[in-house]
Amino acid sequence: MKGTGLALPRSRIGVSRWRRFRAAVDWPLILTILALAAIGLLNLYSATRGTRHHAKFDTQVQWMVVGLIAFVISTVVDYRAVVRLAWIGLGAAIFMLVVVRLLGDGAHGKGSYRWLNVFGMGIQPSELAKLMVILALARMFQDGELSRYSIEQLVPRLGALVVPIALIAVQPDLGTAVLLGLIVLSVGFLAMPSVWPVVHVTLAGLLAIPILWETMHDYQKNRILAFIDPSSDPTGNGWHTRQSIFAVGSGKIWGKGYGEGTQNQFDFLPEHWTDFPYSVWAEEWGFLGSVFLLAIFGFLLIWILNVALSARDRAGAVICIGVAAMTFWHVLINVAMVLGLAPVVGVTLPFISYGGSSLVIFFCAMGLVANVSLRKYGY
Amino acid sequence: MLLRSQTGPSSGNGPALPELHRRLKWVALVGVVALLVLAGRLWQLQVMRGEGYYERTVSNVVKERYLPSVRGKILDRKGVPLADNRPAFNLYVTPKQWKPEIRAELARLLGLSDDELAKIDERLDIGRKRDPKQPIVVLEDQGRDRASLVEQALARLPGVEVHYEPYRYYPQGDLAAHLVGYMSQMTSEEAEKLTNKGYHTSELVGRYGLEAAWENYLRGKKGIERYAVDARGQRLDDQTAATLIQGERVSGAIPGANLVLTIDAELQRLAERAVGSQTAAAVVVVEPNTGKLRAVVSKPSFDPNIMTGHLTRQEETMLKSDPRKPFVDKALRMTYPPGSVFKFVTALAALTDGQAAEDESVTCHGAYELSGTTFKCNATHGKLDLLGAIQKSCNIYFWQLAERIGLDRIADVARLYGFGTPTNLGLNGDAGGRIPTKAWYEQLGHYKVGFATNAATGQGDVEVSVLQMAMAYVALANGGTLYVPQVVERVEGHDGRPIVSYEPKVAREIKMPAAALDIWRRGMWKVTNEPGGTAYDHGYVSIVPVMGKTGTAEIRTKRRKKDDDERAIEGYAPTRSHAWFAGWAPAEDPAFVIVVFVEHGGSGGRVAWPIAKQIIEGYFGKLEKRGNP
Repeated sequence: MKGTGLALPRSRIGVSRWRRFRAAVDWPLILTILALAAIGLLNLYSATRGTRHHAKFDTQVQWMVVGLIAFVISTVVDYRAVVRLAWIGLGAAIFMLVVVRLLGDGAHGKGSYRWLNVFGMGIQPSELAKLMVILALARMFQDGELSRYSIEQLVPRLGALVVPIALIAVQPDLGTAVLLGLIVLSVGFLAMPSVWPVVHVTLAGLLAIPILWETMHDYQKNRILAFIDPSSDPTGNGWHTRQSIFAVGSGKIWGKGYGEGTQNQFDFLPEHWTDFPYSVWAEEWGFLGSVFLLAIFGFLLIWILNVALSARDRAGAVICIGVAAMTFWHVLINVAMVLGLAPVVGVTLPFISYGGSSLVIFFCAMGLVANVSLRKYGY
Repeated sequence: MLLRSQTGPSSGNGPALPELHRRLKWVALVGVVALLVLAGRLWQLQVMRGEGYYERTVSNVVKERYLPSVRGKILDRKGVPLADNRPAFNLYVTPKQWKPEIRAELARLLGLSDDELAKIDERLDIGRKRDPKQPIVVLEDQGRDRASLVEQALARLPGVEVHYEPYRYYPQGDLAAHLVGYMSQMTSEEAEKLTNKGYHTSELVGRYGLEAAWENYLRGKKGIERYAVDARGQRLDDQTAATLIQGERVSGAIPGANLVLTIDAELQRLAERAVGSQTAAAVVVVEPNTGKLRAVVSKPSFDPNIMTGHLTRQEETMLKSDPRKPFVDKALRMTYPPGSVFKFVTALAALTDGQAAEDESVTCHGAYELSGTTFKCNATHGKLDLLGAIQKSCNIYFWQLAERIGLDRIADVARLYGFGTPTNLGLNGDAGGRIPTKAWYEQLGHYKVGFATNAATGQGDVEVSVLQMAMAYVALANGGTLYVPQVVERVEGHDGRPIVSYEPKVAREIKMPAAALDIWRRGMWKVTNEPGGTAYDHGYVSIVPVMGKTGTAEIRTKRRKKDDDERAIEGYAPTRSHAWFAGWAPAEDPAFVIVVFVEHGGSGGRVAWPIAKQIIEGYFGKLEKRGNP
């Protein structure tokens, strides 16, 4: 690949479009994603096999196909065209968040409004919002634009980024709201000429925690309290964390072996296929397998940053940073939660967790990275 | 480093995002810290504490064991248990832990036969398919010796458990078997219905008698024990179980309520001994001032210990093909022609209507002509008055009365005394019997005057149950109160605390002229106390004044099935008359009313009366000995 050199060296004229395209495609990125998706399916199969949830495996395979198609589309369509439409996209995401607030299915998660029913499929607008916020950030940071904005121009744009976070927070889906905030702060930290505004916003956010606490629902407070002291409520909110820790710990160094994880097989871990797949993995594959999976995520992150470094423009680089941040925080929060280091919040493990929205959004996000990677050669 | 190895081809004019290049060290720092934290935590959980967590969680599975409730006892009026429970030692094995060594050890320990071992293997095969970690019963109801042998060797027998479970037990054997009843396994249709009501499919349900009718009070409520087992099905300690099982682990069984009966076990035994030589019979003894049943015998009967649970198919067929019908309650369920014990109905009807008088005399020539049909009396009695007709049980006297008052008057009085409708005891079928009327015959399309003649002496289409007859004689004894028979005195908790007490229930007060009743009673007195009385000629009770009436109900000798001969039972002649006796003692201020019925026994005076006499003498003789006349 490296041998391709400049975008269109003279020697390459006459080489077919397809061969040039093939040479420019970011194969390591694709293979890493496919490896993660395969691990996800493998793990889901073990977690649901022989239970009444076994149909979830088939559903997930179907979502994989949808995700791969989404990946191809978001790789092929030039990201610069996409970034031009970023504000419209963000507007659409905000619109959907408002719609879900008004029409969404409140029965899904403890009276919160997260799901939108589209053609019989449950869609989570908050997942889409993550992608749109990243694209909007790319639009803002596009070559030099940030410094050109006057205060009057900057404020509504920043506002447009805060609105979806606020809408998600009131769903209420605190986990996703915090995650989105972390993505914005991460991008700001890595792309702003000066880091001080980001530091100030972060400090302000920390100071707002007591106010947030007052506005939280009881079940949210209980989850956080249970995290601080799991033994305070061993059969309620502490249950998930305790059982997850037991499952992870019982894997020891080598794991119990594929399909032998008794903690997940006997429903000790409710909903383990969505929020706790890492626990299932850790129980069956042990310390080595657990670290191996983290290493794959680590490699993926380094690779995405690598693409960011070599991107041909600021927008492309910011997209990569955003996707890297999104992936990083998802993995960190989810795994920390499984290991009892973070409260139980609904944050998925990319490509591993069961669930269509998360899967498709991550495929799209990786597609954008591949897109940036593809076009660094001026393709 | 990988991150620095490449600079974009378009970076001829510098990197697209120089800020990122400047802050890469921060990115690296955050990334490394995050990885170290997660990997460190994994190290802590999986490597440092892994063994502990493994011990606590590996293959933990929640299992449920149902704790059988102790079924309520059935006690006689003095607390003698008729139905009780005993601990049965059941041997459980977890299929997954069953190994040839354990099998051999168990066989050696208990000296198991090949048959027993084959049965154990078979049960384990079934259990393994269902759930290899769920212990199942392999040896049921073992002796104390075997149980303690296994208990001492439990350490060498992983996966083997001994549980003490209450089994139904009838300490008096077949005493009052029809009343007490028995239990049996539920059918598959029942299983579906009953499991919704909290039954376990392995539980027995009351099938007959009080066991069936009072099931809801007797059964109590089963408990559940939830526990954790490891991968091999070995039970884990409670502390570990607590971390794995949400909610209550043991909800204890609630024992059932005890039934205290009105039955007197001693009297019951006396009555059963008295009919011992008969092949098929029934006895009912009732308290005349309350309607409480003191003894209810139906013979032949069965041993409920055999019936409950473990009856083989062969035994069952044998019992069910017996022509004497050991499973039909002859006191409550079956109805028979009553014969002359029914004559009080005709007498009272005629006396109240002014169609009979005590001093009216009739001459019995041994036969009676009515519209071309000849009815035969049991003897040629010559000239006798009403008392004499009762004493000698002359049919012709009563046929004449019947001709005067008609069938429907007989039916009226019979219904007044409770015939023709169930007694509402609510047990074993509790038959209503049949009291024919003119309308009933007309519906069938063939009323004849002779039907009244038959009914007057309790023949023809009149059918009553032994219990109905007893309740009618109770009303005669107490002056006119027809009671609903009562068999359960009270229900009490297993600890003796009262739950429900039942008071005597009156079905109706019968308005009968005292003079008419008095005439009938004086007739009854003559039956048992004066020469020529149908009972007196076959024995006389001297220790207590008794009065009563005998009956010999003829059978319509229509059916004599071919296979009757094949299954013939010695002493059981299906063509012979039914023998009846109904009466009470002491004559004034009666303590109990007794009705004895012997199916195809022959003459009431010769067969039924001596049985009643034996019961009366046994009962009052014992009272006398205790100095309590």
